Amino acid sequence: MFNDLDPILHSQLRLSIVSILMTVEEAEFTFIKESTGAAAGNISIQIKKLQEAGYVKVEKTFKNNYPNTSVSITRKGIKAFEDYVNNIKKYINPK
Amino acid sequence: MNEKITPEESLLLISKTIEETKQRFKENGHIIILWGVITFVVFASQYIFSAIGWYKKFDIIWTTALFPLGAIYTFIYIKKNVYKKNLPKTLLTRVIGTMGWAMGANLMMLGLFFGKQLGDAMAPVFIILLALSMIVTGASIKFKPLFIGGILMNLIGLGSFLISRDYHGFSLMLGALVGLIIPGILLNKAHRKENV
Repeated sequence: MFNDLDPILHSQLRLSIVSILMTVEEAEFTFIKESTGAAAGNISIQIKKLQEAGYVKVEKTFKNNYPNTSVSITRKGIKAFEDYVNNIKKYINPK
Repeated sequence: MNEKITPEESLLLISKTIEETKQRFKENGHIIILWGVITFVVFASQYIFSAIGWYKKFDIIWTTALFPLGAIYTFIYIKKNVYKKNLPKTLLTRVIGTMGWAMGANLMMLGLFFGKQLGDAMAPVFIILLALSMIVTGASIKFKPLFIGGILMNLIGLGSFLISRDYHGFSLMLGALVGLIIPGILLNKAHRKENV
């Protein structure tokens, strides 16, 4: 009756990261860390999972001589997020 | 923060995260108030200095010092508050940012190099250009007082074509007040209220 919820997105931290990326064009790693309040290591792991699923794009550059990681959502990620939201709406309101 | 959640919690988390992210890069009106005050002070001082006979001495100092100082302050403020805080890029911040520097550069070029060609149209053109940027900013951030202030400023600019050049300073002061200072203060108040 219900579509299964995307296991990649149905996790608190990964969903937070994707929600942030849905709001902006791209976000730096430090911004995601400040916004979610999660540990850097944990965020790295979750971003990697999202990247492997093709939901986010990661770019590593240098900013003022320091390594800088910026993350943006892909078309596939946007589609997955939209499907996920539609599915949880169906779970909450089955009619 | 990585455990599975219920659909209700998911929806709540999504809306909360999106709202919090938006809040972090909301316009606080600081730069709008600054430019409103600079414009007002420069043109008010022109009348005051003119009345007390110091016009030639101080006019150049004000207009050549205050506007570039304002530009330097704006540059430092943006660098400190946007780049250093690692705020993310959004379509909105890109549009407003690009419009801000393009408008500022054009106003400066017009004032420095094309004053002669513009003649009596200088002040009205200035007001209209400033008004356009406020209308676009107000519409983009969905803040009505800024949008309405921009429209009023636009009307003041158009109306300035109909009055003597002697009163254009008043038009600029009035435009700065209704299009920049008042909406800027209201925006700042709204921003503080949302962040309490």
